[in-house]
Amino acid sequence: MTKIANDAAGWFSPQNRKETNAGLLFIAPALIGFAVFVAGPMVATVVLSLMKYDLFSSPSFVGLANFEAMLDDRRLWKVLGNTAFFAVFAVAGNVGLGVVLAVLLNRNMSKTVRYAYRAAFFFPSLVGLIFVAVIWQFLFQRDIGVINYYLGIVGIEPVRWLSSARNALWSVIILDIWKNVGFAMLIATAGLQSISKDYYDAARVDGSSSLRTFWQITVPLLSPTILFLLTMNTIGAFKVFESIVVLTNGGPGDSSRSLVMYIYEQGFKSFNMGYASAISLLLLTITVIVTAIQFALSKRWAFYE
Amino acid sequence: MNKPMHISWDMAPARLSARRLSPETRAMISRLRTALIYVVLGLGALVMVAPFLWMFTTSFRPVAEAFTLPPRWLPGLDSSLESYRRLLASDVPIGRFFWNSTVLATTVTLGYVATTTIAGYAFARLRFPFKNALFALLLVSLMVPIQTTLVPLFLLMRWLGLVDSQWSIIVPGLTGAFAPGMSGVFGIFLMRQFFLTLPKELFEAARVDNAGHFRTFWSIAVPLAGPQIAALSVIIFTMTWNDYFMPLIFLNSVDQMVLPVGIMSIRDPVGNSSATSEVIAAVSLSILPVLLVFLVAQRWIIDSFMRAGVKG
Repeated sequence: MTKIANDAAGWFSPQNRKETNAGLLFIAPALIGFAVFVAGPMVATVVLSLMKYDLFSSPSFVGLANFEAMLDDRRLWKVLGNTAFFAVFAVAGNVGLGVVLAVLLNRNMSKTVRYAYRAAFFFPSLVGLIFVAVIWQFLFQRDIGVINYYLGIVGIEPVRWLSSARNALWSVIILDIWKNVGFAMLIATAGLQSISKDYYDAARVDGSSSLRTFWQITVPLLSPTILFLLTMNTIGAFKVFESIVVLTNGGPGDSSRSLVMYIYEQGFKSFNMGYASAISLLLLTITVIVTAIQFALSKRWAFYE
Repeated sequence: MNKPMHISWDMAPARLSARRLSPETRAMISRLRTALIYVVLGLGALVMVAPFLWMFTTSFRPVAEAFTLPPRWLPGLDSSLESYRRLLASDVPIGRFFWNSTVLATTVTLGYVATTTIAGYAFARLRFPFKNALFALLLVSLMVPIQTTLVPLFLLMRWLGLVDSQWSIIVPGLTGAFAPGMSGVFGIFLMRQFFLTLPKELFEAARVDNAGHFRTFWSIAVPLAGPQIAALSVIIFTMTWNDYFMPLIFLNSVDQMVLPVGIMSIRDPVGNSSATSEVIAAVSLSILPVLLVFLVAQRWIIDSFMRAGVKG
C-alpha cells in the first residue's frame, strides 16, 4: 500500500476526490438545514416585509409601506425603548456581577465551599425561564408575595412589583439577573483561569490593593471574555420574551412589552405577517450591528496576551 | 514642607496597609475581609437557592394554606401531597406533557449532536473546496436567532404540513440547523475545536490502512470525543426541555404540548389558590429532572459549560 502525497495533487486526484466527497457529504445535512431553516427564512423575511399578508387572503406587494408604518407606530417605539432599557441594565447587571462573583470565588478558599457557591449561583441558568418566572411571579405578588413580606418586616411599604408601570420592567430585570448571572460568572471564571499568576504576584510585590489589581490587571486581561459576554448577553437581551409574558404580559399598558412580544402579537394574534416581518428585520439589524461591533472591537480594543 | 497628600479611593487602603500597620493588624484585616466576602457570597447563594426552596416547600403544603404568610422554606410536619394529587386528578394531561417533553428533547438532542459532530469533524479534519467559506457562512446563523425569522419559519412549517406536530421542532434539530434556543453552528464549532486538538498521527495511521473516511470518523474520532459529545448533549437536552418559544409557535393542541407551554396553559391569574397549587406542583415536577441530574453530575456539568462557553 502506498501513501499518496497529498500536497501536489489537486482536488481531483482519486484520493483527494474521495476526501472531498466525504467532507461535503459530512457537512451536507448541516448545510441543507442552514439553507432551508436559516438562510431561506432570512431572505423570506425581507420579501415578506414588502408584502401585506394576513394568512387567509393571498399576499400583495406594498413596497415600503410597512416600514413607513413603523416610523409612525408609537407602540413600536415604546416597546423598542423598553427592550433597550431592559438590555442596558440586564447586561450591565449580568456581566458586571458575573465578573465580580468570578473574581471573589477565585480567591483562596476551601474547595468545597467554592464548589457549593458556584453550583448555587449557576443552577438557575439550567432551569427553564418559564418555570422560574412562574415561581417569581408568586414571590413578586403585592399582598401574598414573599418579597414584600420580608420588606414589610424591615418597615418598607408593600411594593407593586408587577402592577405598576414604573416597576414592571425592573422586576423583569431582577429576574433576568438572578437567572443568568451564574452563567456569566462561569464564563468569566474560565477566562480568569487563563490569566497567568505572574501578573498577580507582581502586583502583590508592588503592594497593590485588591481594587487596584482588579481594575488594572484583571479587567484588562479579561477584556476578551468581557467583550464576549457583553455581546452574547446583548443579543440575548434583545430577544427577551418569556419572562415578560409570565410576569406582566407586557403590562400595565405597554410599559413592559418587548420587541419580540410585539412581533409575536403582530404576526400571530393580529395576523399582520408583513408588518411583523418588517419589525423582525429591525431585530435582525440590531443583532447584526451588535455582532459587527464585537468583531471590530475584538480586533482593536480587547487585550490579547 | 507639606506636600499635598494624593489619595484616591482605590489607593488609600494599600497605603495604610503597606506603611502604617503592623503585620498582625494587616493579617487581621485580611482575615476580616475574607470573612466578609464569605458572608456576602453566602447571602447571594441563599438568594439563588431560595426561590427553589420556596417552590418545593409550597408544593408540599396543604392547599388551603399553601400561600399563607410567613412563608415556609422547608417542608414541615403538615406536609401533604394534596397539590400533586389534585394535579394528577385534574383534566390537565401533565403526564402527556411530560412524555412529549421527554420525547422531543431526546430526539432533538440525538439528531443535533449527530449532525453537528460529523460536520465539526469534516471542518476540522478533512480537506475539501470552499471549506473555510462554508464555515464562515454557517457562522452567519449566530446572528439570526429564530425570533428574527419567525413568520417565514411558521409559513414554511405550515407549507410542509408540520405545524402542530413535534416534527416542526425535530426537523430543524435533526438537520443541525438549530435546536431550540441554540444555533446549529454552536455544536459544529464546539466539535470542530475539539477535533482540531487531536494529534494528526492518529488519523495518518488510518489513512495508511486505507480506512474509509466514515470509518475513521466512527472508530477513531467519535470514541475520543465521548466527553465532549456528552457535554453537548446535556446542553442541547436542557435547552430543548426548557424552551417555550418554539413550542408556543408550532405546537398548539393540548395533545402536542410540552411542559412549558402546558404550564402556561393551566396557569391561573393568581388568587385562585387551589389551581395555583397545581401550577406550583407542575413546575416542581418540571424542574425536578434538571435538579436531580445537576446534583449527581454537578462538577462535570459546570466544567462542560465552562469549556463550551469559552470556545462557543
